[in-house]
Amino acid sequence: MKSIMIIYNQAHSTLVQQALDKCDVRGFTKWVDVQGRGSDKGEPHYGTHAWPSINMAIMAIVEPEILTILLSELKEINSSAEKHGLRAFVWEAESAI
Amino acid sequence: MKIYESSVKKPVTTALIFVAIVVLGLFSFSKLSVDLYPKIELNAATVMTTYSGASAMDIEQNVTKRLETSLSTVSDLKRISSTSKDNVSLITVEFEYGTNMDEAVNDIRAVLDMQRNFLPDDCESPVVLKFSSDMMPIAFISAHAGVSSEGLYKILDEKVANPLNRIDGVASTSISGAPQREIQISADPQKMEAYKLSIEQLSNLISMENRNIPAGSIDVGSNTYSVRVDGEFKESEEIQNLIVGSYQGKNIYMKDVATIKDTLKERSTEIYTNGERGATIVVQKQSGANVVEIADKINAALPGIQKSLPPDVKLEMVLDTSEFIKDSISSLTETVLLAGLFVMIVVLFFLGRWRATFIIILTIPVSLVAAFIYLMVTGNTLNIISLSSLSIAIGMVVDDAIVVLENITTHIERGSKPKDAAIYATNEVAVAVIASTLTIISVFFPLTMVSGLAGIMFKQLGWIVTIIISISVLAALTLTPMLSSIMLKADPKRSKAFQYFYSPIERMLDGLDRAYASALKWCVNNRFKVMGGALVLFLVSLVLVAKVGTDFFPASDNSQIGVTVELPVGSRVEQARKLNTYLFEMWKKKYPEVEILQASLGQSDGSNVFMSLRTSGSHIITYTAKLSKPENRKRDIFDISDEMRKDLSATPEVYRYTVTPGGSSGMGMGSGGTTLEMDVLGYNFEDAESVAKQVSDIMKKTEGLRDVKLSREDYMPQFKVEFDRDKLAMNGITMTSAATVVRNRINGIITTKFREEGEEYDIVVRNDQKYRTTVDDINNILIFNTQGKAVRLSELGNVVENFAPPSIEHLDRERVIKVTGSVYKRSLGDIATDVNTAVAKIDMPPLITASVSGAVEEQQESFADMFTLLALVILLTYIVMASQFESFRDPFIIMFSLPFAFTGVFVALWLTGTTLSLIALIGAVMLVGIVVKNGIVLIDYINLNKERGASVKRSVISGGKSRLRPVIMTTATTILGMVPMAMGIGAGSEIWQPMGIAIIGGLTLSTLLTLIVIPTIYTSFHAGDIKRKRKAWAKKINELKAV
Repeated sequence: MKSIMIIYNQAHSTLVQQALDKCDVRGFTKWVDVQGRGSDKGEPHYGTHAWPSINMAIMAIVEPEILTILLSELKEINSSAEKHGLRAFVWEAESAI
Repeated sequence: MKIYESSVKKPVTTALIFVAIVVLGLFSFSKLSVDLYPKIELNAATVMTTYSGASAMDIEQNVTKRLETSLSTVSDLKRISSTSKDNVSLITVEFEYGTNMDEAVNDIRAVLDMQRNFLPDDCESPVVLKFSSDMMPIAFISAHAGVSSEGLYKILDEKVANPLNRIDGVASTSISGAPQREIQISADPQKMEAYKLSIEQLSNLISMENRNIPAGSIDVGSNTYSVRVDGEFKESEEIQNLIVGSYQGKNIYMKDVATIKDTLKERSTEIYTNGERGATIVVQKQSGANVVEIADKINAALPGIQKSLPPDVKLEMVLDTSEFIKDSISSLTETVLLAGLFVMIVVLFFLGRWRATFIIILTIPVSLVAAFIYLMVTGNTLNIISLSSLSIAIGMVVDDAIVVLENITTHIERGSKPKDAAIYATNEVAVAVIASTLTIISVFFPLTMVSGLAGIMFKQLGWIVTIIISISVLAALTLTPMLSSIMLKADPKRSKAFQYFYSPIERMLDGLDRAYASALKWCVNNRFKVMGGALVLFLVSLVLVAKVGTDFFPASDNSQIGVTVELPVGSRVEQARKLNTYLFEMWKKKYPEVEILQASLGQSDGSNVFMSLRTSGSHIITYTAKLSKPENRKRDIFDISDEMRKDLSATPEVYRYTVTPGGSSGMGMGSGGTTLEMDVLGYNFEDAESVAKQVSDIMKKTEGLRDVKLSREDYMPQFKVEFDRDKLAMNGITMTSAATVVRNRINGIITTKFREEGEEYDIVVRNDQKYRTTVDDINNILIFNTQGKAVRLSELGNVVENFAPPSIEHLDRERVIKVTGSVYKRSLGDIATDVNTAVAKIDMPPLITASVSGAVEEQQESFADMFTLLALVILLTYIVMASQFESFRDPFIIMFSLPFAFTGVFVALWLTGTTLSLIALIGAVMLVGIVVKNGIVLIDYINLNKERGASVKRSVISGGKSRLRPVIMTTATTILGMVPMAMGIGAGSEIWQPMGIAIIGGLTLSTLLTLIVIPTIYTSFHAGDIKRKRKAWAKKINELKAV
């Protein structure tokens, strides 16, 4: 089992939701109004006057075979509008209750 | 959930809410009545007291003075003015604007009730007349007759006035010019003396003979009968055979001592329509009724009424006020539609997308329609103020939608789904949109609180624009994102044909962006040159302030001219008739534009309040000329009036004259010309007269003044009966009874009325006409004392011939002579200054003062109000901006665009030769809100760039470049929305033209300069920001190091 954290511009919210549904990912946790900025050239997302955009974050625990499909879906979303910004980070989920 | 989020997620609800608003609005629109102006409750009431037979002096001393003194205790009083003339005292009590007139009139009534007992006995009870614009006659119908002219009054009363009165909304109809029936008993004083009879005895006798008395009821068997004595005359001839007494055993009949005539009243108004004698029916509407609707109904009813009349009686609509209203409203509707079209073209031009244009344009009807709901709910009418407000607002309602839509498009172009883009893009600009709307509201909302005449005019404007703009921001935050989420596409495909037309425009706009960026670059590097240049421009424009004249209200052409012609005082009515025919023949040929010329001459019969308020007399002729529509003629009413003045000066019989373009029907507001009035105050007749003559000489010499005249007319010859009190006392006669006797012989006595077919006619007893022609006739009047002994008047006193002023005017209880002149093609403000400087040089006798009043005074008051308003508006917008930027400095920078707005106003007024009127000033006040809006858009984005870490100069240049299009676009929609108004096409449009011109001029110049000067000033103010930050940082580090 892998844990995936998707942090994305809230403008992508519908698309990300659709991707999760498409890959049959049932369980997830979502944070709205998340702030941050990209390490390389990504714009800040602060929800302020200067940087009005804001992020959302979703964490889900998925099976590895689903993960690859999900990642490719997410990649497609990101490339559709690179300026908005979408990042996904994956790490091992060791155990669950 | 935020409002725009829920509206995007619930498109059906959102759409239906706006559908509901539109439906309600259209429903209200269909119910709204149409009128020229909002309901104006004039702040004045008139107290009219008739005292038949009294001269102006008597009226002044016995009636006016007494009433004035007590009326001046009424609260909220502004001023009190009066005219005392023969037979009537007219006191006008003027209140502060906004006073509750119902209460004020009640106060007046209370005072009058108290004074009632102190007034002379024969004086009738004072009548309080309250005026409002509702009372202005809405139609004049002229009637002329051939053989039926003797009975014209009765025919018109029964067959025309009554049916018209039954029309819904008609309050009253009155007939003038048709003399009423009267039964005259003309006594022969010599025969009366022989039989030892007096006028009073005859009169009492007739009154006693002419009575119906119910005598109770009696029971006869099982029935009850009422008993009546019907003594009233059935025929007027019965009076002839009344027995008035007996002499040497023979009966003396009425016909032996008097001639009994069943005839028409002696003195009455004569009315000529296009040279033919006739009568006029004046129609007044009920308060709040729809003029246009009533006029349509009257017009529809007239053919039917015409059929019921004898064939020689012809009716004709002389004045139909609804025509001007209809024309004004339809030309304004055109203006609104044209403005809408212009706005649409601008939006399409800048956006180049049909769908986006549609979304933005949709906010126009949605928000404008809301104004109709407001009008309906508050019981207002659709008038030129409310329609003009729509045309003012139309360019501004799209601004918010443009900003929102622009940001949504940017988001979609970046790759968002339309639905997400709609929500989040709206979220980003919501605060800025609300703030810029608040600046507009902070301009228009204070308009609802303005006092004075301007307040009445602009209250509606303030409310309507505030409501429309509020609805438009609501639509921009809900309807626009909702529609964008549905209608906008990520990659809109443009048709080839469209691309062909649009790509050059796009290239031009891009070029403009680049050119502006490089210009801005030069400016921020040469800041002092730019600011110095701007300062010089502003200072130069101040010179124009002196060049642009000031006026109170712009004059407009309502196709009416009022003319008053006076013959020398005391001329007989026959002279007036002759002159009238001459003038009519001349004017008919010279001015084919005149469609109907109505003349009224002769003494007013006093039966009709409206007519009796006009000055009348056997020597005065009053004309009302109705001209063809303005678009169908070359000369306007002002030119024709000036020509008429020349004609009148060339006519030797004319003693003096006034020509009033726009008609004399009062209510100078917005129709016709203005007048300058100088008041000469002082008790002494001779001194005041000589000063007034000097003032009038000055005014005659002043350029741009016509028809200068004094309000005090020439002295009228009069006979004064001076009784000797000792002689009266010796004969046991009191002054009052002696005076009453004289009055009854000459003026007549009415003690009873003759009734026929439900109508009542006066029975007047007096000396026969031939015994009322010389001084001896007065001297020969017999006065009976209580013992029945007859004494001749000549034994009790003298008849002296002297002169009396025909009318005495008071202002604030002091005698006044008003010197008035009509303004022709020069600004009122300039004329007033010229006249004032010259008048100041006059050597005034003691206790005499001269001062300006009338329109100039109103103008000064309103202008002062406007400047207070301007200060208030500037303060409010500053507060809105300061709270949006959370800074004192940035709004201050934006305020620098205001001086240039005023520069623009003056340049535009000067170029078009328009004067600075109240309307232009309102335009200047509105500019404050519109102009700072551009500054907000610009500074907001520059600040944003700075916050993102760019240097001040870079922020300014790139910020300016990216905001150029929105600024130009919103400005262009506002300016083009005003263009139809500034062009002044159609009836009554002259009124709003100065506002259009002022706003266009101010906005154009200030936008151009805002785009250059504001970024420059901003750079100067913020140049030190980074240095300061660095310094503070270095200081902190040093401090840390020291520790």
